[in-house]
Amino acid sequence: MRGHWLSAAAASALLACGLAACGTGTPNSTAGGLQIWEGYTGAEAKAFTHLLAVWNKAHPSEKVSYLYVNNDDSLPKLLTAVKGGSQPDIAYVYGSWAPNVAQIPQVVNLTKVVQQPGVDWSDFWVGERDVATVKGEVIGIPALVDNLAVVYNKSLFAAAGLPAPGPDWTWNQFVADAKKLTIPAKKQFGTAYVTPGTEDTVWHWEALLWEAGGQILNSTNTKAAFDSQAGLESLNTLRTMAVTDKSMYLDPSDSEYANLFNSGKIGMLVTGPWDLSGFPNVKYGVQIMPSFPGSSGGHQTISGPDNWVIFNNGSKRVAAAEKFLIWMTATPQATYFSLHTGDLPIRQSVENSPQFLQKMDQALPGVDTFVSNLGNVKQARPQLPTYPKVSTILGQMIVSVLLGKTQPRAALASAAQQVNQALASGSSS
Amino acid sequence: MIVRAALARQAGQPWRTRQPGRPARPKASEQAAGWAFVTPAVVLIIVFGVVPIVWSAVMSFQRNNLFSPNTPFVGLSNYRQMLHDPVIGQAITHTIVYTALFVPGTMLVGLFLAVAMNRKLRFISVYRTAAYATMAISTISEALVFIWLFDPSYGIVNYLFHLVGFPQQQFLNSTSEALYVIVIMTIWGWTGFAVVIYLAALQGIPQALTEAAAIDGAGRWATFRRITLPLLSPASLFLVVWLTINALQLFDEVYLSTQGGPLNSTTVLVYYLYEQAFGGANFNFGYASAIAYFLFVIIIVVTAIQFRVGRRLVHYRS
Amino acid sequence: MAAPIAAATAAAPATPAALPRRRRVRLPFSPWHLVLIPATIVLIFPFAWLLITSVETPAEALHFPPILVPHHLDFGNYPQALQAAPFGRFFINSAVVAVTTVVANVVMCSLAGYAFARYRFFGRGLLFALIMTTLMVPFQVTMIPQYIITKWLGINVVAEFGLNHIGALIVPNAATAFGVFFLRQFFRTLPIEYEEAARVDGARRLTVFWRIVLPLSGPALSTLAALTFLDSWNNFLWPLIAVNQTNQMTLPLGLATFQGAHSTEWTLLMAGNVMSLIPIMIIFFAAQRYFVRSAAATGLTGT
Repeated sequence: MRGHWLSAAAASALLACGLAACGTGTPNSTAGGLQIWEGYTGAEAKAFTHLLAVWNKAHPSEKVSYLYVNNDDSLPKLLTAVKGGSQPDIAYVYGSWAPNVAQIPQVVNLTKVVQQPGVDWSDFWVGERDVATVKGEVIGIPALVDNLAVVYNKSLFAAAGLPAPGPDWTWNQFVADAKKLTIPAKKQFGTAYVTPGTEDTVWHWEALLWEAGGQILNSTNTKAAFDSQAGLESLNTLRTMAVTDKSMYLDPSDSEYANLFNSGKIGMLVTGPWDLSGFPNVKYGVQIMPSFPGSSGGHQTISGPDNWVIFNNGSKRVAAAEKFLIWMTATPQATYFSLHTGDLPIRQSVENSPQFLQKMDQALPGVDTFVSNLGNVKQARPQLPTYPKVSTILGQMIVSVLLGKTQPRAALASAAQQVNQALASGSSS
Repeated sequence: MIVRAALARQAGQPWRTRQPGRPARPKASEQAAGWAFVTPAVVLIIVFGVVPIVWSAVMSFQRNNLFSPNTPFVGLSNYRQMLHDPVIGQAITHTIVYTALFVPGTMLVGLFLAVAMNRKLRFISVYRTAAYATMAISTISEALVFIWLFDPSYGIVNYLFHLVGFPQQQFLNSTSEALYVIVIMTIWGWTGFAVVIYLAALQGIPQALTEAAAIDGAGRWATFRRITLPLLSPASLFLVVWLTINALQLFDEVYLSTQGGPLNSTTVLVYYLYEQAFGGANFNFGYASAIAYFLFVIIIVVTAIQFRVGRRLVHYRS
Repeated sequence: MAAPIAAATAAAPATPAALPRRRRVRLPFSPWHLVLIPATIVLIFPFAWLLITSVETPAEALHFPPILVPHHLDFGNYPQALQAAPFGRFFINSAVVAVTTVVANVVMCSLAGYAFARYRFFGRGLLFALIMTTLMVPFQVTMIPQYIITKWLGINVVAEFGLNHIGALIVPNAATAFGVFFLRQFFRTLPIEYEEAARVDGARRLTVFWRIVLPLSGPALSTLAALTFLDSWNNFLWPLIAVNQTNQMTLPLGLATFQGAHSTEWTLLMAGNVMSLIPIMIIFFAAQRYFVRSAAATGLTGT
């Protein structure tokens, strides 16, 4: 009987192949329809598809369809597609990849496009514009902006008898609060820090570095500049909490800290607005990051904008893509998107919308602080193709200090040496 | 020896007979049959497997950052870069240590469970399905659970240690322990596979053999050692080869849990090359391809040794 | 069956040396259960977590350490997950790809595996080694060439094998070195006497394969089928790269829609994972039947 079974199976396999081929879509060469790759989930996905539907109805000859690609996985997919000649028309690209993405020949130079009237390029936040520009060329249109602030657990603060943090607070107060909020018997920690050694580890520290008045690299981006008093001060602050006070929970998985906060086990977190919706069980408050008293940095924060990048699949498609993106990021659409997702407004003029801040705060409590914090974004990370290498070195340095394996001074010196080497050996090798 | 004697005795034949019916040199029809049978699979594997491998070999001699179309040939400089790379040595060590622990570990656990499950017990289907199920779970779920189990503050393992009086460990936060946590995680994940293979092999062992040995007065352990294990040797060889090939190419669990950390203590070769290519460290695809080829040579050598040793130690029943 | 009784006897606790004979302590159940039950708990623990999270409310799911005894059950996660994306379509795609891949593999790899195991032909060793090498280079490195080849095939050979068709997900994996390797090893363990006897009797080689070898290969073929199905069902990286239209996505890609860059919808993701596991578990449970000793394999008793 097995013989019959096998031949029947083989026949049905061929049949299935044929049916599947018949049932699936047409090849990729359809004229007119644009494809956009993005990684929106949940509320963002709903808002985005709504806006897409509005566009498609009004522009039936320039329809846009989307493909969900998780943002973390999008780089291998995008690069493979580019190498294979099957790139999309528009893709959502992390800002940190911008200097490298700019080297892709199919990426469209938008410098002239964004200067057109009606685009109002300067309405975008300075952090976004910096990240969308590589070597003077604009290669993307801002898709997302965020920043870091402190989210704290009101109940834990009250239980410890601590006043809620005010906008003038300092890092000394933060450290002291964290210590008071750490109760080993309850397995409760004052704060947390992510330690996978990736850019997530690095950019949290960079914000402190800037607040302490320091810089990552020198003005020509040829040498390390973080090996300074500011670097020492910022690193020592973190080290005191992690090693001395043991008030800092170290999360190597980059995902536990949020659930821990939501379970009432962490007093304060330095994080962004995306985490707020993950805290339904906690009465939280939001405050801007503390500052280092007497430093020139003041209350600064860091932002991680992302871009929409257009790929050249023919001049007609490029023109349609540009038109679509300009519409998508225009004030009315940006306002709609922000209000329905809790994402920070990508344009300054969005805040002029009536009762914008109140509505945002109603939908997502605490997000208004993040919105006003956008004004504290004064600079961006170096827009270099070698920045990822610098980031790895800095990540190792920070984790090494937090684990108590090296002293900050030595760690800074060693990292500076490695960074100088990396910058000297130049671009992409 | 015992196996062959037992087999022969069962068949009622003297056991050193020459194999009948096999000509000294393969006939033309055998050649033709051989080629005809292998062609479908071989064509597909060559087109989709071998050609990409050769292609990547070419890429390993280029400077290629995946973004720009400029990919000049740079000879052996990618390979030379490996000699100067301080992290490569660590990656190699971690890969070897990991493999040396993972392969025997999985085989032993799998063998033990397969032997336990190779009998008619109540609920045996439940036990077996539980073992297979570990293969089915997605790697991300596996990683999340183990991250939780081994959390220094909130995990069950430290809690059990606390109960028994062991000192609390840092596990995934510790440069000396993180790799071992990954070993345990992956042994868990592959146990089902080893059980499936060993179970299928155990089912193929005729009971008449073990019964004959028992009648002859051999103890259970002796029977196991002298009859069962040798008869399982083809399955063991298969497992050793396949598990080693996979262990040397460990990636997913590291990517989803420690990302090579802390401080490169769980960086293994494939994770390192992924970091070089896509992980934002460099976008250096030429270098990543060179590392892949270096690993490829290691795997070929190790596999060849395993097959060679296998030829000596493995009993096939023909 | 001699086995259970032997097991009970062997597991009997050793009695003190003073007693002349070994006492047999009989437990009301086989002592193997004492081993298997803890082992099973360790093995299925992550599933329990998966299952429990899938019926929790987001409020309770966003806890660390995870809550294993939720106060509120929310079965609504399942319909919600199904509606979040066209999962019916994803399921069909995954099923078509997996079933076709399994059948193709079983057919082609058994033919090739048998030839490598039994036939002697020119270039056999080299060809087998060449095939094995495809297992030794990580996919992250070969995926770009494979992508380009698949695209080329779609344009120049058969459109259905190219990108944007389900064929792109099936054809590159329709025969794998793993299958060939696995079956070759297996076929070598079969006693050659049957095949030789059939050849002596004048049977053609194909008939020997079809009528004698395959029926004896139940456990191995079903093992390969189950493993290939699992691999195909859970395959993520190649479909991620090769699929450019939402209606051709497979289940793992569909589940990724619950994982945003900054936040993950855990309850929906776990519900989706559980639903994705069900076909695999069914396949395994069914394939188990074939793992049972086939009568012919024990037929070495000389008759």
